[in-house]
Formats: sequence, C-alpha cells, structure tokens
Amino acid sequence: MLRRFNLQLTSSLHSVGFFVTRNYTKQMRRITLLFLICITTLSYAQNAGSIKGKLIDKEYNNEPLAFANILIKGTTTGTTSDIDGLYAFNDLQPGEYTLIFSFVGYETQEIITTVTSGSTIEVNVTMIASTAALNQIVITTTTKRESEVALLLDQKKAVEIKQSIGAEELARKGVNDAAGAVAKISGVSKQEGSGNVYVRGLGDRYLNTTLNGLSLPSNNINKKNIDLNLFASDIIQNVSISKTYTSKFYGDFSAGNIDISSKEYKGNGFFNVFTGSGINTRAVGKNFVRSEGTGYFGYYGRYKRNPFAVILSHGIDPVNVGAPINISYGASAGKSFDFKNGSRLSLFVTASFKNNYEYRNGRQTDFTTVFKKVFPETEVFEYSTTTTAMANINFRLDDVSKFKFNSLFISNSSDQVGYYGTNGQGQNRDAILNTDEGFYQMNVQFNQDVILVNQLIGTHKITENIKLDWAIGYNKVFSDEPDRKRISLENYQYALDNNPSTNPTFYNNIPFDNQRYFQKIEDDEFNSRINLAYTISDALKLNFGFNGRSKKRDFENIRYGYDIVDTGFQITDVNNFNSIFNVENLAINSNNGIYRTFVFNAINPPQIGQYNRPGLLENSYQGNLDVYAGYTNVQFNISEKLLIVPGVRVESYKQRIDYNVINLPNDDPGFRETQSTFFLPSLNVKYTLKENQNLRFSASKTVSVPEFKEMAPYVYEGVTERIGGNPDLLNNPSFSKIYNIDVKYEWFISKSELFSIGGFGKQINDPINLVIANDATGTQRYFRTGDKATILGVELELRKQLIANEDEDSELSAGFNATYMHTKQDLKSSSGLYSSTLNRTDKLQGASPLIINADINYSPTFGTFKPVINLVYSYFSDRISALGSGQLGNIIEKSVSVLDLILKSEINEHLEISFSAKNILDPSIKRVRENTSFGDVILSEYNRGMDLSLQFKYKF
Amino acid sequence: MKNNLFLGLFVFTILLNSCSTDGTADIIINDNSITNNGDGGNNGAQSIFLSGTYNEDLTLDANNNYKVNGSLIMAAGTTLTIPAGITVEALAAGSDVYIAISQGAKIMASGTADNPIVFTSDASTPQAGDWGGLILLGRAPINSVSGTATSTSEIASLPYGGTDAADNSGVIRYMRIEYSGGAADGQSENNGFSFYGVGNGTTVEYIQAYEGKDDGVEFFGGTVNVNYISVINAQDDSIDWTEGYSGTITNAYVKHGAIHDKGVEADGFNTDIGNNSNPLFFSKPTINNLTIIGLGSASGSEAVRLRAGTQGIFNNFIIEGFAEGFDLDGDLGDSPTGAGVLSNDLQVTGITFTDVTLKIKNDTGETFTETDFISGDGDGTGTDYATWGANWTIGNN
Repeated sequence: MLRRFNLQLTSSLHSVGFFVTRNYTKQMRRITLLFLICITTLSYAQNAGSIKGKLIDKEYNNEPLAFANILIKGTTTGTTSDIDGLYAFNDLQPGEYTLIFSFVGYETQEIITTVTSGSTIEVNVTMIASTAALNQIVITTTTKRESEVALLLDQKKAVEIKQSIGAEELARKGVNDAAGAVAKISGVSKQEGSGNVYVRGLGDRYLNTTLNGLSLPSNNINKKNIDLNLFASDIIQNVSISKTYTSKFYGDFSAGNIDISSKEYKGNGFFNVFTGSGINTRAVGKNFVRSEGTGYFGYYGRYKRNPFAVILSHGIDPVNVGAPINISYGASAGKSFDFKNGSRLSLFVTASFKNNYEYRNGRQTDFTTVFKKVFPETEVFEYSTTTTAMANINFRLDDVSKFKFNSLFISNSSDQVGYYGTNGQGQNRDAILNTDEGFYQMNVQFNQDVILVNQLIGTHKITENIKLDWAIGYNKVFSDEPDRKRISLENYQYALDNNPSTNPTFYNNIPFDNQRYFQKIEDDEFNSRINLAYTISDALKLNFGFNGRSKKRDFENIRYGYDIVDTGFQITDVNNFNSIFNVENLAINSNNGIYRTFVFNAINPPQIGQYNRPGLLENSYQGNLDVYAGYTNVQFNISEKLLIVPGVRVESYKQRIDYNVINLPNDDPGFRETQSTFFLPSLNVKYTLKENQNLRFSASKTVSVPEFKEMAPYVYEGVTERIGGNPDLLNNPSFSKIYNIDVKYEWFISKSELFSIGGFGKQINDPINLVIANDATGTQRYFRTGDKATILGVELELRKQLIANEDEDSELSAGFNATYMHTKQDLKSSSGLYSSTLNRTDKLQGASPLIINADINYSPTFGTFKPVINLVYSYFSDRISALGSGQLGNIIEKSVSVLDLILKSEINEHLEISFSAKNILDPSIKRVRENTSFGDVILSEYNRGMDLSLQFKYKF
Repeated sequence: MKNNLFLGLFVFTILLNSCSTDGTADIIINDNSITNNGDGGNNGAQSIFLSGTYNEDLTLDANNNYKVNGSLIMAAGTTLTIPAGITVEALAAGSDVYIAISQGAKIMASGTADNPIVFTSDASTPQAGDWGGLILLGRAPINSVSGTATSTSEIASLPYGGTDAADNSGVIRYMRIEYSGGAADGQSENNGFSFYGVGNGTTVEYIQAYEGKDDGVEFFGGTVNVNYISVINAQDDSIDWTEGYSGTITNAYVKHGAIHDKGVEADGFNTDIGNNSNPLFFSKPTINNLTIIGLGSASGSEAVRLRAGTQGIFNNFIIEGFAEGFDLDGDLGDSPTGAGVLSNDLQVTGITFTDVTLKIKNDTGETFTETDFISGDGDGTGTDYATWGANWTIGNN
C-alpha cells in the first residue's frame, strides 16, 4: 500500500506551476536591502558568496519543510532542505542565480537572486500545495522519511555514521521486511533462511534493535535481536543502522544499532488492500505436511492444557495440508481529523497475513572427531506464517507539542516437519541394533512468537531553542515451542523394502530418545528515553538525556519421554505412530503395553513417580536486566566546516539470572548477578570538505554484556546439536569493554548518487564465543575465550545514476557496496562451572571477511506505463559459526550468493501489479566442520528453492 | 491384603470433553497402586535423608535407615564412610538422585562377602533407572584435556581429571548398586559406577551393578584398577571406557538381560571434544579374566565394540551367545583403532567363543587378519564368577 501511495504522489507532480506568496514579496524587499548594504561594503572583495534560507510549509501550520529540493537553474548544483527547513549554497561566485524550489505535491517556485562576493543572501520561501494536488486528498509530508533522497540527506547531515533505507527504496527493491531492508545497506548481510543480520560481519550478539528509539525484545530464546523478518515493509517508515556510537545509545553497542521507524500517516485519508500468491520451486508439487494441532493461521490451541493431557490425548503424526501455495493479503487505512483549535489527529492502521511453504531436501551430519550421526538424506517441510497489525495515532496538539501512540502486534509461526535418514542409510555410532544403516529420526516442531509493543512518544518544542523528546514503552513477548515431537528408529531400511516380516524398531537408549517437549518463554520490558535539546547558538547545541530499561524473562520447559517397554516392537507403518502412542498401548500394569511416559522431575516420588504421571518442570530460569543511564553531548560547530560532537554516557548496569536447571552441582547457588557502572565517552567529528563531501571521524568506548540465553545453564537439544549457557559469564569480568574507531569519506555526487569509503577498527576485551565445552557430553557453551579480539576493516559504497530521464529522475541506476575486514583473537582456556580448552589465534566467530551487496534499477517510461525492474545481489564469504576447542575444527557457515529480481508496474491509478523471483541462484546452504582428518566434513547442506510471487494492490 | 491385588495397578479414565475446542481430554488418574503411605514398606523406622553438598565428613551408622533423596556430593577434603552390611535406599526420582565423591574427597566403604554394602531404589516395585548411581571423580589423567585442565562430568557438572595417576579416592569393597542409571538426556547418563579420572591409589574390588538403566561400570579416563566386577542386566553397555582410561580390570563377569546394548563399549577418547592430550594417548586398559554372556547368537547382539582409537590388552576371555564377538570401528585419522591392532596395542590373548556367529568385524579402515588381533583362540577360560561372586551378588540365574 505504501508503494502505491508514493506513486500517487509522483503522478501529482505533473501539475506544478508557479506561485509566489505575499510572504515572499516581503522577503524580497528585505533581501534587496541586504543586498544594497552588502554591495556598499564589500563591492571590491572577490570572495565567493552564499545563499541560505528556510522553507516553510504553508499546508502544515507553517512548520519547516524538510527534504524539499533546491536547484540552481541551468546547473547541476542542488541541495535539499534539512529537517529544520534550512538549506544553503556556499562557495558561489558572484552573479545572478535562479533558484528552483520544489517538493512533491507542492507548487514549484523560481526565485532570482544575485550573489555578491563575501555575502550571504537569505532567501526564505513558503511552499504551498499545488491546486491540482490539493484536489487529491493525499498531500502530506509522509513521504519525507521514506524517500531515498531524503534518507541520503539524513545520512549526510547525521552526526554519527548512519545509513538508512526507506519505504520507497524498500518497495523499489522489492524488499518485504526489515531483514531484507538492512541487508541492502553496506556492510550488512543476512543469514540465508533466517532473520539473522550481520553488521560488518558481526552477528546477533553485537547488535541492538530498537523501534522508534525504544528497545525491542527478541522473539527467540536464541537471539538477542528480534527477527527482522517479522517487520513487514508495510509497517516500516524506514530502517537505519548506526555503525558508530553516540551517547544516546545504550552502552551495549558493538557493531551497530538497528532502528526501525514505524510507519506513520499524517495525510487526510486513504484505504487500500493487497493480495498475492506465490510458490517455492522446491516446495511446489510436494504433498505438504505440518504438525497436528496447529492452525492455518499459525496458532496452537492447547497452550492452556497440561502437557501431560496433551500427549495422552493427541498423537504425533504430521497431517497433510495439500498443495503448498503461498498466500498474502492485507489492508491499511489512514485518516486525519482537524480540530478547531488547530490540533490534528491522524490515525493509521494496517493488518496483514502471509504464509510461506518451504521444502528442504539435503543431508545432515553430527561430526566432532568421528561421525556420530549421519543422515545422507533429509527432508524438511516448513510452513510459516506472519500476522502483523499496527495502529498508530499521531496527535498534534499545537505548534509546541506532538504525541504519538504506537501499538504493534506480530505473530510469527514456523511449523517444521523434518525427516532424517529417509533413504534408510542413516547412521548412529551409538545405535544398539545396527550402527551401519537404518538410523532415522523424525522431528515435528512448531514455534510461535507473539510480540506486543506499545509506545507513547512525545515531542515538545518548548521554545525556539529548547526541544524535549520523550518516549515510554512496554513490550511483551510470548515465545512458545509447544509439543515438539521427536522419534528415533533403528533399521529404517526395513520400512523401505517390501518385506512385511522385517520392520524398523524404536531406538530406546534412554527414555528421551522418543519424546515430546514443551518450552515457554515470556518477556516483559519497560523502557523509556527522554532528551532535552538546547540550542544555545548556531554553533552550539546541547543534548541531555536519560534512558532506562527493565527487562525480565521467564523460561520453562518440560519433556515427556516415551520409554519403550516392548523394545522389539515392530513398526509396520512409519506414517502411523498414532496407532502406537495412544492410551491403549500405555504400559500401565507392569510391562503390559508398548510404552510408558517418562518425566524427569516426578511430582512426589516414589508415590507419584516418573512413569505414566504428569511431572514438574524440568528447567526454568528467570533473567533480569536493569539499565539506567544519563548522557550528554555537545554539537559544536567550530567553523562552518567542522562539527565536533563530544559526548559521555554514565550507565548503571545490573543483571541477574536465577535458574533451576537439571544436572548441576547441588552447591551451585542457582543464581549469578552483577552490577557495574559504565563511563562511556564518545567523539564524533564531521568535517565538510565541500558542500557535498564530508570527512568523518568517530571514536568511542562501549560495552557488550551477556544475554540471558548465554548465561542460563540449561541445554537445548537439537537433532544434531546441543547448546547451553554458562552463568559464569556474569563473574568478573561480567562484560566486555569495546574500543571503536571509525573514519569515513563520503561524497554526495548528486541528489541520488553517493560514493563513500571508510575504515574501522575495534578492540573487544574478554569476548564471548560459542565453543564446545570440556565436558563428557560435547555441549556447545558460551565462554569468555580470550583477553581481546581485534577487528580492522574497510567499507566502500557507490550509488550511481547511469541514465536519467528528462525530469532528471533515474532511468537506470546501480548501487554497490562492500566490506572487507580482518579479525583476530587470541584464544585461551577457561574454567569455572564449565571449562574449555583453547590455545591458538583465530578469527572472530560470526565475522565474514567479505560482504558484497549490489543492485541495478531500471525504470523506463512508456507513455503512462512505468514499469520498474530491479536486480538485487548479495554475498557473504565463509564465516565461523562456532569455534572448535581442543582437537575440534571450527564450524564454518559457507559463503552464499543471493540474486533477486523484482518487477513492478502500475496498471492504472487504482491497480498495481508486482512480480518477484527471489533466490534465483538457489545456492546450497552449507555448514562444515573444517580441519578434520576427513578434510572439511559437511554438517548440513540443503537448497531453499526459488520463490516466485505475484501481487496485486488496489487503492480506493 | 486384598489391596495388594491392586498393587502397581492404576487406571486412566479419559473423558473426551467435546466442549474444548482443542480436543484435549481431561485426564483423571485413578491410582490404586498406593496401598500405604509409609516409606515403601520398610520396618517403619525413621529414615535419615541424605542430600546436598557435605563440606565435612559423613559417617553412616549401620543401625540407622538412610535414604538418599537428592544429589549427595562429598566436597574436596571430606570422607564418606559407609559400614559393612548397610542397605541405603535412594529415592526413586531418577537421575537427580546420586552420590558423588568430588576430586579430593574419599569414600571409605568396606563391605564383606557376607555383609555387602547395598544401594537400591526405595520404590516398592523397583526398576532400572529409579535413581542415578555412584560417581567418583579424581585427579588422574584424562585425554579430553591436557595438563592440569579439568573436564566436567555428565551428571552433576563436577570437575575431573588432572595429572596425579596415583590419586586416591578411597576404598570400595563388596558393594552392590541396584536399579540405577537414570539419564538426564541422550548425552548425560548415570551408570551404576561412574569413575571419572579416578587414580590407582583408589581401591576398588568386588562391585556389582544390577538392573541398571544405563551402563554398569563406566570409566572416563583415569588409572584406577578394579578387581572383581559383576554387571547383570545393564540396559546399556555393561562395561564402558573412554577418555584415555588406562587401569587394569581383573576378573569381570557380564550377563545380559532382555534389554541391553554391548557387553563392552570402548572409546579411545571422548569424540565429542576430541583427544586433547599432549603427548597423545588413547584408552589402554588391561583386562584379565573376562566373561561376557549374551542371549544367544540369534539375538543379533554384539559383545565388544572397540572405537575411536582405543587400545587395550584382553587376556583370558570368554564370549558366549552373540551374533558378533568384536566390532572394531575407526579410521585412518584421529581414531586409529585398526592401527592399534597392527602395533600390538590392541590385542586379545586367550579367548573362547561359544555360540558366536562372527568373531570380528573390522570397520577401521586398516587391513588386518584375525590372527593379527587374536592369539590363542579357544584358550580362554574367563573368570571364576561362581567362586568370587558367591553370596554378595544377585541376579545370575
């Protein structure tokens, strides 16, 4: 809908005219006077002069008009008004200039002025909406922060090194969600098939995500950042990544801060709907399956039930769901109300649903120094859904105060049915009957994450020089993995032969080899920010602020094993486990039956024991994080060209984890806590080499603190991996100190063209890495693996217009960005509750040395028909997924290239059609363990398939 | 007494409640199995509960009733003393109920053939896996770490391993452990007796693991010598070693029940974290006088699995009633099991196969002949279990 909206605005550009307001004529007189004074005093100076001024938005209570274009007629020199409506041209040779002021939906104005040497001419202009546009009730400034040009300007003006991508570019590049969005920014890559984002090659634990400047919780136990795939582009105004630190950010800052600005609407009203459909080339034609008990919309109906009742009442077999056709639909609407006192209330609501079918055929191996489990053939069916709804209320009370209330709901589900060892050739070295073939596992897993975000945001322009911004937010997350089912068989090859007298049997080394698992996480977070900006003079601006966040997580899980009593039981139909795991076959009386349920923590043993009874929770933990900080920074314009922004933040950090987890020494206190105060200085410098070229420098000290999942000592058992936390991370040192240095040169060649090159260096003290612990179980855990890690890198970005049309809009343009970096860390052994053996130098976990993004945009005009074609490419090089300890090699995530094609065209003023082909190259997604005695051993490999989709949008 | 008819019997009643949208039934458990609320039918004397970490010595008194009702951990420097003839019950609550002797702690448990020390489940109808088992942790070398580093035990997450081959964890003599072996998950398993890096200053003789859910006796590295082992009806491997175990086992008797895995499962090192010893070494115990009785060659089981580069010297061996005698797994890289055969570090001297279909299966990648591995086929006499196992062991029918 957002795309359509922009196009409508563009079309209104065709009816522009000239209009000079009365205001302007008054202004003219003053300028002439000024001009006269200047000419008398400086007539012989041969210095260059300048023109500056302010643009006023008549349609919006005479507020400053940002992001309007100002062009010197007959030249390519142009600029854009900033957020305060200000613009300037410097270094102009004396002479007469015609300035063209334009803004989408507004009358274009031409003003003639004369510059004399050494003088500064002030030209203030009030912009008024074009009459044609006024008839269409969509004249707003909504596009401001969505357009690429505006965001490029934002980047140019920004104090820190910051890059953004707006709704317009998202739509143009066919990006569906925030994860795709950030991946278009230089130095950013996305892990294929997940929402994991890497900034300059640094992964999840080194990033923060905020929504409108307020922290956002993660939806996933294994992540710190929310899955950006959950933010459909319909609810994004823009996404920005700040790669350098300023004191307004939380001190836990390493590679970058991702801020999503939620979409807001200030216009007079609109309503539109969209619907689409698509396929995945590998999923199409498959007879698709998903979990029993879950719905089409990605909900699970048994959350309130005791898991024991669930497992006795319901079977484990997946259900058929028919043809895998992806569907999406949604609607959005906006409306504004004006009050007599000048207040304006704007509403924006949007809701959408989409689903996706993916089929992954591949192989999977658990290899350490030997092949523990080998599945030469695996099949995974994944059905996922995303439901989003957002309501946004903007209330502009008066010229002083504006309020915004933002409420966001996201429900995201993934329903995976995995079959491992489908060709009967699976191996398990610990198999009992046959270690050479026939090991097979089925894993049926449903995950649902529900996120609720509520934010109240206010801005007050108390005086001309004092501006107050504040926001408070409350976030709630429910992350559930209800009723995961895992089955393990031996001699599966007998299910594939046609001999009814040979059949597979259950693998029952321990009662949990066949199991059902329930996991539940609930997060609550309050957070707030307040900033007071005080402009003392043009040269000096002060910011004072406060941030606070208080976050709590509750985690719990329980497993029920199927202890097979009839160990030789012949499984005649591997697609009908329901005929086995039902109440009739429960071995209630001694060993009369096929199986018993088994729980780890019995309610009251031996009377209410582990078998055939409900049980107590197996693991639980509660995490608490409290951060309060005050900060200040000074924007100090030492000269026209030099801006320095020193800042400091003092942050109080308190973290505690309480856990009740199986399999710990009984004298472990069951909690860890830490409290520290950070003193974090930062310095950002911007030197304007020329009007359109900046040189930037930035240095800061930041920290990195452990996450709940890294500290909670419970172990999550995947099909071929075990990962657990380590509470000792909260022992001294309980955080990593980070020193950051950045330099960058940027050249804004034209309004939509950019060249930049930058270098960066970081030192991370006491870094945390995921390594295989020294324990008898081979579990991966988090350790502080060394004294320090260092990172050195360069990044390059180029956006170039290749062919422009007569309106100077790009017809063919290309963008390219790349990051290359070198990382190094000295690894050391550590001990405590868990220990690890490391003694070498290696690269940093999660860092890709090379990241490349490129895109080509072609938007020809055939009369009124304006299709847009985009080709988008991204690449990341091999990176360490987990460090090998001792004799073990590292686990490497192999490089991936992704190519997407997006076609879009407006058919008429109501209807728009778009087509996309994503993941055209369909590369294999591979993880390997390197440097083994077998060379590089493939741990997993599959292809995701190409996604083809067609979408229709209709605006009323 | 009529109630006893219902002992161990209870009934599930499923009411299919059509009102609930999710179709989940209400589960009502009518449990008639509990006939008294005592402590499992004992003599009624008050039990003394044992659990927690002991930072001072603990001495049990043969006149008291004890019940281990959680994890009982003896901290470094303490001694657990257990008198002969005592039977200690463990709460049938699974793998969280166990006794662990930490590095630097000692167990002094000297039973006799007539008065053995018994650890058993408190359940009225005990079954395998009712509780964890006995765990000893020492400072003898393990090959999963090098030097003074330690590793962490599967159960209890306690440290083990070190450089003191002669480390002394105390004395165990005439001890039987029943119904143990509850597992936390596929990788964290209790056994009957778990020896983690236990040194050869420790005395262990006459031990029996009976009806265990997991392994009977497992060695995670260490140098401890054990004389007279009996493992009956272990549901997993009866004798298991890994992480560079290098002690001597003299006289061991293994008998399989209906549910079982291997008689001996042996790894040269812990393949989850690799062989990190420097200089490199593999498990290499010496086993004298070993008898393994299976369920017959038709049952399809295997007696001895040798993996991950393990070495070892088997002298005087009987294998009876298995489809496979020895199954050797390895490769030409980090797991040189076959190379051990060729270098005479993995050898069998004096063995008798009875009712064994295939004597040796070689999956090591190396080529060797049966005589490279075995000498004296037909000469094995095994162990004289009838003599040394008399009185204090159970279950050998």
